[in-house]
This record gives sequence, C-alpha cells and structure tokens, in this order.
Amino acid sequence: MSTATPLLGPELLARLEKMELVSRKIFRGRMKGERRSRRKGQSVEFADFRNYVPGDDLRFIDWNTYARLDRLFLKMFLEEEDLHFYALVDASESMDFGNPTKLDYAKQLAAALGFVGLVRGDRVKIETLGQPPGRSPVFRGRRGLWPMLDHVGGFAPGETTPLAQGVKNFCLRNSGKGIVVLMSDLMDKAGFEGALRYLVAQEMDVYVVHVLSAEELEPDLQGDLRLVDCEDADVAEVTVSAALMARYKRTLAGFIESARDFCTRRGMAYLLAKNEIPLETLITDYLARRGLVR
Amino acid sequence: MGLSWINMLSWWQWAILAAVPPAIVVLYFLKLKRRPVEVPSTYLWLRSIEDLHVNSIWQRLRKNLLLFLQLLLVALLIVALTSPGWRGQRLSGDRFIFLVDNSASMTADDVEPSRLDEAKRRAVQLIEAMQSGDAAMVISFADAARIEQDFTGNRRLLTRAVEGIQPTNRSTALGDALKMAAALANPGRSAYDITDTQVAEALPATIYLLSDGKFPDVTGFSLGNLTPVYVPIGEAKPANVGIVAFTIRALESRPEALQAFARLENFGADEVRVEAVLRHDGKLLNATTLELPGGQARGVAFDLGTINAGALALEIRPDDALAVDNTAWVAVNPPRQAEVLLITPGNRPLELGLSTEGAAKLAKLTVQPPSYLKTKAYATAADAGRYDLVIYDRCAPETMPQANTWFLGVVPPGGEWKAEATVDVPKIIDIDLAHPIMQWIALDDVILYEGTPLAPPPGGSVLVDSKMGPMLVVAPRQGFEDMVQGFLLVEDVDDQTYIRTTWPIRPSFPVFLFNLLAYFGGGPEVLAQGSLRPGQPVMLETQDPKKGLSVVAPDGKTSLLEQSRPGKYNFTDTDKLGVYEVRTGGKLQERFTVNLFDPAESDLAPRASFDVGPVEVAGQTGWEDVRRELWRWLVLAGLGVLLVEWYIYGHRVSL
Repeated sequence: MSTATPLLGPELLARLEKMELVSRKIFRGRMKGERRSRRKGQSVEFADFRNYVPGDDLRFIDWNTYARLDRLFLKMFLEEEDLHFYALVDASESMDFGNPTKLDYAKQLAAALGFVGLVRGDRVKIETLGQPPGRSPVFRGRRGLWPMLDHVGGFAPGETTPLAQGVKNFCLRNSGKGIVVLMSDLMDKAGFEGALRYLVAQEMDVYVVHVLSAEELEPDLQGDLRLVDCEDADVAEVTVSAALMARYKRTLAGFIESARDFCTRRGMAYLLAKNEIPLETLITDYLARRGLVR
Repeated sequence: MGLSWINMLSWWQWAILAAVPPAIVVLYFLKLKRRPVEVPSTYLWLRSIEDLHVNSIWQRLRKNLLLFLQLLLVALLIVALTSPGWRGQRLSGDRFIFLVDNSASMTADDVEPSRLDEAKRRAVQLIEAMQSGDAAMVISFADAARIEQDFTGNRRLLTRAVEGIQPTNRSTALGDALKMAAALANPGRSAYDITDTQVAEALPATIYLLSDGKFPDVTGFSLGNLTPVYVPIGEAKPANVGIVAFTIRALESRPEALQAFARLENFGADEVRVEAVLRHDGKLLNATTLELPGGQARGVAFDLGTINAGALALEIRPDDALAVDNTAWVAVNPPRQAEVLLITPGNRPLELGLSTEGAAKLAKLTVQPPSYLKTKAYATAADAGRYDLVIYDRCAPETMPQANTWFLGVVPPGGEWKAEATVDVPKIIDIDLAHPIMQWIALDDVILYEGTPLAPPPGGSVLVDSKMGPMLVVAPRQGFEDMVQGFLLVEDVDDQTYIRTTWPIRPSFPVFLFNLLAYFGGGPEVLAQGSLRPGQPVMLETQDPKKGLSVVAPDGKTSLLEQSRPGKYNFTDTDKLGVYEVRTGGKLQERFTVNLFDPAESDLAPRASFDVGPVEVAGQTGWEDVRRELWRWLVLAGLGVLLVEWYIYGHRVSL
C-alpha cells in the first residue's frame, strides 16, 4: 500500500544532508569515493613502494627512484573509495499492516538512509527480497535522489519470496562488501535465523531493522477468532482471553529477544523499529546510537 | 442397599432427552462461527499455542474438554431426571397410620439415642416418603392411645406431630390404638339409605407400628381393611437389670422396725454384678452388691431400723439400657393418729387402758353410749369411714361400719359369726403370739370367769383359745378386720359392776391395747402404701376437707385437687416415677410412690411377632431406610460442572 505522501519530507532531507553513513569496517569500493580504503590505488595519499613486476601499470612507476637506483619501483597510494550501501526491504504481504504500514515505514527508512549515502557519494542500492533476477539500479550522487525515490516508491507489497530465499538471492547478486540494512518483520514461519546466516557469511556490515506494527505489539483482539495469515492463508482458531494474550506477549518478547540475541552474537546490529516511532527520531536517535549514521 | 430408579418421563420425553447429547456433539463439531481476522502473520499466535500441542492426546482431550463437560452436565441432568435414589422403604397404598409406641420400654437407649427417638426418626422418614395425595395419621400409644395428628396430607403437620411425641413411663397395650386406627378403615355402620351421605366409606389403610412389641396379643379385634406393618425397634437382647418390686414391711418380731425388700431381675443374657444403693430422703442408708445371672431374679433385703417417715429410694447400678427401672421408691408415712370410737354403757378398765399416754399417741378416743348407734351422726360417720376402729362393748350395730371393729361379748350382725352357750371359767390354753396384736402378751395369770366360745367365719384366726373354744378371734371383712371377744371385761348386773376377768389388772392388758391400736389404727404396719403404676389414678382422702388438698409431683409440679366427693380427691397425673407428696393446708399429710414394676416393660427384647385376633403380625426382619433421593446432589454436581466449564472457557488458551 503506497501512500500519497512523499517518502521524504523536505525538513527530513535537510537534516539528513548533514549526516553520513558510517561503516565499522573499511571496505573496498568500485569507484573512488570519499573514504579511505585499505586498497592502495590512485590517490594523492602515498602509501608505499613495491617492486615492479611485469604487467604493472607503468604510470605508477617512480621514475625518480629508477633514476637514482636503476631499479623499477611502483609507487603505491592509499585509494579513497566509495561505500556500498545496500538496503534490503521485505515487501511481503505481512509488511502491509499498520499505520503507517510497515512497508511504507521500511521504504521511508530505506530512502532516508539511501539519501544519506547519495549525499556522501556512496553507492546506494535498494532492493526488495523479491527482486527479480537481473541487475537492479545503482544510485550515486545527489542527482540519483529522484530516481532512487521513484524506485523505492515503486515497491509494492505482495511478494511471496521467503525471507531466507530473498536474502540468499541478494547475497548471490551482491558479493561485494559494504553496509546492508535489512528491513523486515522477520515473521517467517521457517524462522529468520537461516536468512540472517547468509548475511553473516557475506562479511558485510549488517544492520537488522526489525519493523513491527502496533497491531503486532499490542493486538487489539478479543473473543473467538479465526486468524487468517495474509501471506499463506494459514488459519489459527483462537479464543483470545487474558490468559492467551499474556501468552502471546511472552512469545512476542521471546521472539524479539531471540532475534536481538541472534544478531548480537554474530556481530550484527539489531534495531527494533515500531512503526509508531517517527522516522526522524529513528534515524537521528536510534540509528545514530547504533553507529549507522553520524 | 442398592440404587433404584423411578421412571418419571414418558417415551417421547425420553426421546427428546436422548436427542440432546447428539445435538451437543453436532453443534460442537459445527462449532460456533469464529470471526475471521486477517493478521500479518499467525506465526506468533501459533508459537503462543504451540507448546500446548506437546501432548497431543491430552491436547485433543483438552481441546474437547468443554464438549465433555457439557456432555457430563447433560448426563448428570438426565440421570437426575430418572430420580435415582438409595432403594429403601416403599410406602404402598395412599393412607397410612403411624402408631408410635411411647411406653416405658421405648425410653431404652439400646439404640441411640433412644428407642422412641429411633421410632420417631423412622416415622418421619416414612412421612417424607409419602407421595403427594397420600394421607396419614399419627397415633401414640402406651397403655392408652392418643391421636397426635388426624388424617392429613400435610407432611409438615405429620412430622411435627411425630416430633412432639413424648416418652411416658406407662405399660403398653395395643388394642386401644388399633381401635382408633380402625375407626376410619372399618366403619361400623353401612349405608342402606341412598340419601345418607354422611356414612363413611371403608378406606383401606396401612398401619406402620413402630414399637418394641411389649404388649399382650390383641384378642377380639379384626384388622379388616387395615394392613399392619410391624417395625420392631430395639436390639435383639439388650442387657437390662430392673427392680420389679420394692416394698417395706415391719419385722414380724419387732413391728416398729422396718425391713425393705426389693426384687431385682436380670433380663439380659450375661451375668451382671449389680450394686444396690438405698437412700432415705436422699441420705445414704445402705448398699449392697449382688451377682445376677442372666435371666434370673433375686431378692434383696435391707434392715431399716426405726423409720417413721420419709421416702426410700433404691437405685441399682450400673446404668443399663432402660433407666426408668433402675430406681424404685417407697414411701414411709408418719403414723397417723387413729380415730377410735368406743361405744359402751360404761367400761372403766377399757377406757382407762385406751387413755394411757402410749395409747393416746396412737389414737384419739371418742366414747359414746349405745344410744349413739341410733343417731344420724353415727350412721354418717360409719358409712364415711370416719373411724379406724369402732369398739362395740356389749352392743352391736345394725350394719357393719366402714371400719375395723372390736366386739366385746356380742357377735357382729350378719350371721357369719356364731357364738355358743356361755361356759364358766374357760381356761386359756393358747394364744397366737405370731399375730401382731398378740405380740409380747402373756395370759398365764389371766382368769376368765365366764366366756362364750366363738365360731368365726372362714378366714378368721384365733388369737386366744380356751379349753372350751376360741375366746378371741379376728377375721377379715372386705378390707377391714373384725375382732370378736367371747368374754366380757366387766358386766353390769342390777346397777352393780362386776369384774369378769383379771386381765385388766395384768400388765399384758395395756400392751394388748397398744398392739391393737397400732394394728388397726394405722401404725407402722400400714405405713408402706402400695405403689402405683404410672398413669394409675389414685383416690386421696383428707380428714379436713376445708384446707384443700394438693399433690407435689416428683418434678416439683404442684397440683391443687378438686374434691370429687366429700373428703375424697381423685388424682390422675401419675405419669412421673417417684415420690408424690400429698399436702393439706401446706402441711405434708402423706406420700405415695409411682414405680414401673413391670417385668414386661423391663424385658427389653423386642417381640418378633404378635397376634391380632387370628392374624399373626410378623416384624420386618430388616429395616431399610426410606429411599434417599439423589437428584439434588446430581443437580448440584451439574452446577459444579457448569462452573468448571465456565472457568475453563474463560481461562483456556487453546483453540
């Protein structure tokens, strides 16, 4: 369910402009960026010399040293690189709940983070779990803002790819390093653990934003109900009593705790995002505290 | 005792009922329409309830627990509708007469708390088992029957009537109660005139006789439309020792000294060691212990010495099943001054002898000439029994008075007494020293100048015998005794008085007169009044009717009596055992006692059967308590199930 309101308001954009994405690791990018990378390359910052081996780019031979020592050395520079920022949005049917819907919330968050990346010259790629095979657009630079917003705005609920499959596909498509932010409600009957393991193997700086709606946290249900799962039409007949509600709350807390625990143990940052929290607060406060933005 | 059911529904009602459980099952499987709600994911919900599925069998059971509870509830209600109950006494017919025995033996506590209470309990149970439309009546009976409640269908009234039956100390007779019961079932008259609507229709009734059967067989009675059901109450052979007799009497040798006799009987089967304690006005007087073999009786005697007045109570221990026969009373009344009338033309020795200090204590002497016999005052006094002893000296009345008499020189009228020809100097050869009148008398030095040998009526005993024949004879007469003396003390001839015997100047003469007054005048010999049976009426007298007469019962209740005849009072309220005090003008006049003294009541073993006319009525061998209904408990259990179901419904977390 897409909203008529723009994904990002002007005030928010103004605030986001001053921020930047922070990676806890130094990654190699494909293009020069504004970040120092460990990779020696073409830049102004000298790093080291090494012996010339045939095939090296002749342009980096230090001719002055050759004149003095009659030996060929290659000058090596620290290369400044761009950051790969991936946002992975779960656009399954279950995300289409809440006010604003969890999907809208995730899309806004993805767009906002993407905008921060664009402003800083990072390489921004926003995908959904059900992304069809083939390349997805990559956005770079301020001018990429509108295409990106268009792209994100086009995400519609109803994808049926399971969480694990979607993450796996993403990992296969994007083998590089970078920051990946997974936005999902993690409610997959097969469990979220398998999906997150793919991300661990990817050696990316992983952020898991667990988006939950108020309806899930505080369900306003009562009586004899036939709960229909909007994704697989699975039916659970329950009689919602105080006892069952208490049980549900315990299960929910356990679920959140298990996700947080799983992520923390594997070096992933976990953030529970309720759709009631304003996006600005989420980014400037919660995510800043987690160290994703600065 | 087993369960039984009463079918209260017709087949189509059963059919409807039988359709209820399948309907519940069907409805359960159709289930209530749940409101469908679309949720993002049932993931958390399923996980919330998934650990409830761990034990699938239990879970399945639990899943259907509400169904089972509903079925259980319906089952309980259906069972309740069959009116189950513990099989018990069934009442047949629609008219019942409950005869409850409240005689003395029913106070026995061989069944807790007492036989009467047990009988009442069973009667109430029977009343409760009555169906609506049944009518019953309650009669209590001992030696007489009493309708406690006339025919009614009101069970509350009947129960209250039964509860109100009080124990009595009376003996038992069934005939009276049966006659009352039969009055309705067997109406005495028949209708010949079609317009006679008042005639009673013969209504068959069932008699429930709750008794221990200690009554004689009923003869000359036909049960007719009555169906007797005899419910024997009491244990087969309860241990009981009872006092069946208790009396006092003067010693033969010393009339002023009293002896108490009691007869104890052991009605049980085992030998019992009995302690008998005798008290005089509450003070311990004597005690003894004796062994009583089962089924045997034994007498026990106590020497009392000189007791002038008071009440003796004999108590036996240990307490046994029947308490009312463990204590017996006897009253010793103070010697009353005898009223003696001497009718004589003049007899100085006799008048002197009767006026001695000792004699004056015993008797009040009135002397009248023979002409007094003709007066109306004499006739009234003689008929009313005003005097204890009338002495006729050389004169005789026309009819015998209501008193003891002593005739000197004449024989009583009526022809029963015969006198022979006068003989000279009859030599005294024998005197009856065993007779109270002749105690401590020696007549060896007595000379009779002349005498008339006597021929007494049958039953007379000769006190003084002479060579010529009996000279002093005493004979009974309808509760009185007449003493006739064949010789004279003095004789008047031509205005001269002659002594006819030397007796008056001998020491034996005043002793004889003293014995005489004591014997005829209400001395110690007649102190012990006969005991009354409970409920037996008693006729009381007073010398002074103006002062009125009141009786203080053993429980302290004082009743002022109404005169029935001049100087005579009827007292009927003798139900309590113990000593009754008769007071006149606030002063104790005499005492009398009421004792059970009924071996039939003391023998507690209930009778197995008895005869009513030619019919033998056998007791029910086993008593079954009246049917106890279970449906209330079933409905209560159903309510409990309903509560549990509601609780589970409110707290279940499962599907």
